[in-house]
Amino acid sequence: MATHKAFTQEWLDAWKQKIAGSQEYKEIAKEWEGSVGLICNADPSKNIPNPVYLFTDYWHGDVRDFLVCDETKVQTAKFIMTGDYARWKQVAKKELDATKALMQGKLKLKGDLTYVVRNVKTINKVIDLLTEVQTVWPDDV
Amino acid sequence: MQNGYAGKFLQVDLTGGVCSSFTIQEERLKKFIGGSSLAASLYLERFNLDADPLSAENPLMLMNGPLVGSGFPGSSRFAMAAKSPQTGIWGEAACGGNFGPELKRAGYDGIVITGKSPHPVILSITNNSAEISSAANCWGKDIYETTDILKAPDKNIKVLAIGPAGENRVIFSAIANDKAHFIGRTGLGAVMGSKNLKAITARGNQAPGKANEEKYKEIFKAAIAEIKNSAFAESLHLMGSDAAMDLGMMTGDVPIKNWTVGEDFELSAKLSGPTLTETYLTKAHACSNCPVACKRVVAVKDGPFRTEEGPGPEYETCCTFGTMIMNHDLAAVIKANELCNRYGMDTISAGATIAVVMELYEKGIISLEAADHLDLAWGNMEAVMALLGKIARREGFGDILARGSVSAATHFGAGALDSVAHVKGLDLPMHDPRGFHGMGLAYMMSNRGACHLQHAAMGMEQGMVSWPQLFEMKEDYDGKTSQGKAQLVFDSENYGILGNSLSLCHYLLYCLKPETVRDAFNAITGFNFGFKDLLACGARDWTLKRGINNLLGITVKDDVLPKKILTVLTEGAAEGSVPDMQLLRNEYYAIRGLTTEGIVSKEKLLELGLPELKEKLHP
Repeated sequence: MATHKAFTQEWLDAWKQKIAGSQEYKEIAKEWEGSVGLICNADPSKNIPNPVYLFTDYWHGDVRDFLVCDETKVQTAKFIMTGDYARWKQVAKKELDATKALMQGKLKLKGDLTYVVRNVKTINKVIDLLTEVQTVWPDDV
Repeated sequence: MQNGYAGKFLQVDLTGGVCSSFTIQEERLKKFIGGSSLAASLYLERFNLDADPLSAENPLMLMNGPLVGSGFPGSSRFAMAAKSPQTGIWGEAACGGNFGPELKRAGYDGIVITGKSPHPVILSITNNSAEISSAANCWGKDIYETTDILKAPDKNIKVLAIGPAGENRVIFSAIANDKAHFIGRTGLGAVMGSKNLKAITARGNQAPGKANEEKYKEIFKAAIAEIKNSAFAESLHLMGSDAAMDLGMMTGDVPIKNWTVGEDFELSAKLSGPTLTETYLTKAHACSNCPVACKRVVAVKDGPFRTEEGPGPEYETCCTFGTMIMNHDLAAVIKANELCNRYGMDTISAGATIAVVMELYEKGIISLEAADHLDLAWGNMEAVMALLGKIARREGFGDILARGSVSAATHFGAGALDSVAHVKGLDLPMHDPRGFHGMGLAYMMSNRGACHLQHAAMGMEQGMVSWPQLFEMKEDYDGKTSQGKAQLVFDSENYGILGNSLSLCHYLLYCLKPETVRDAFNAITGFNFGFKDLLACGARDWTLKRGINNLLGITVKDDVLPKKILTVLTEGAAEGSVPDMQLLRNEYYAIRGLTTEGIVSKEKLLELGLPELKEKLHP
């Protein structure tokens, strides 16, 4: 199976493909509308010299744009989740549940929390599918 | 009043109609701090443990903590305690609202009520004085009516009242503060009713002092910033405690159909916090000085369950009158909640008892005739509303249920007890230990019977909090394993109980850094405690209550989970998972210093500074 460097366009494409190919996701996410921006704070000690901005867009079970982007673009997302690299890596490897990370303040959410809680199953499924992407992490290189 | 305490306690003898006051030395306050911990120390020292819970001899105690009245976020809580008529052992409950701070402003840290009035009375407390007067104009009235009557002369009067259920000694009856905040668990409303005490009111204007005002102001600012930054606090504000329903359904936390079904996403979608917010919420409501405002105010404008604007249901109630009885109608949950509020009944035990009889009805153990011709089919909410009234009034079939789920099931025989999920006579709260084994152990070992609030196991095991500065913690626990959970529960009790002693809301305990809690406590009291001292107070509290329960006959035989919880589910996140009761208990006993019989050891009692208890338990 191909491996992808985390936070690259290829990695995002592989993740998008996993989501698009999941019938279970389509069913779970049929109510979800809107984009999610992901911000990984800079951490030079982990080979993340600058913040990383990712834009992911979902619509009623379909996936739309999945882009490595700039700060301006990420700020247009309906929801924005921000965290340190170590936290994102834990979440992506399912070592830390995304909802728990939010509640513990290890990830920050900007956006309608009520909507997120109602659709927590969708979010967990998206993360589950990310764990299926063979990832090379910057600090593991 | 320069250390958070008012400096005196009110003593009320209802038999003689006499009110007086007493003081407690600072050394004792440093050992037990306040709340139910202080109540337990008085209970052991002064009262007859063998007294019948509904007799004049059983005291009813109300205790503040030092943070109450300080204005610190989440510090409005107070505890009430007595020997419980529901369990026959140590009983306690705590609630928020505004009564605790007002009692402190009136000059008292707590109240100890003994005896029994020859006729129904009200206890009125105003600025260092108390008087007893007739309750003739309130007796028989529901809690909302009673509260309105007692607040009529001055809306700033704070009220604690029982309803018809407490008057009639329904063993899971509750006590309400200003209609919206409840001393719900262990049936203390029945103890109040047995004393012919309909209500207590408080009004005062004395501001409690703090040991270090300047330091306190700094800490207060830090606390507010932490709360503003907390997603947990935001979710509580937006969706109330029922924010937990959606995630809980995914993780195997939510009990369904009297603990027999593993998941039902249609139910959670209809009953969850987001749905309540989008449909029936009219506004959020806060306890005194709380910036979170997790309380719900709701109204159902039309339909069969039309309800005037008033206090709305919490997560537990959305389960007991929703998922547990297969009711999909949130409006009906709101109506059942309102009826329990008015009658004055614990919504957990009331709903859980009804879930039990619905199961027994389905199994044919209870007939239509035995149920006073109420069709107890799952989800029949019209029958539920009728039944609540019958329980409160103790009419017919309702009288059997008013004795509680264990007694009711025993009455119906034929294995009916297997339908009851309880520990030590207290119905399980709405968190399934099959999804979270640590919660199972916490239920087994909680001193008032199955309880989700005498510890912080839920926050720790479900990952809502991370407190590595207090103890070794994983960031992400697997709920469906019993390994390592004894230590988690032990730690979570020592810190969680502390919230009860300080009288700090558990939700705020979850939102605030432990350093902030410690520093606020020290700035207010001047005690200069470190984490070690605070956690020792938590351990002392647990051990004291366990020792009292040992004296009341509690041993290893009582530290068990019910059959319901030891039965595997065949679907959902908790599928195939049951707590390893033996492993959990053995590991926990060793950490807690209990003998294999479940008795607190002599050495542990001496280590924690409880020599009086040692003399009684190991004479």
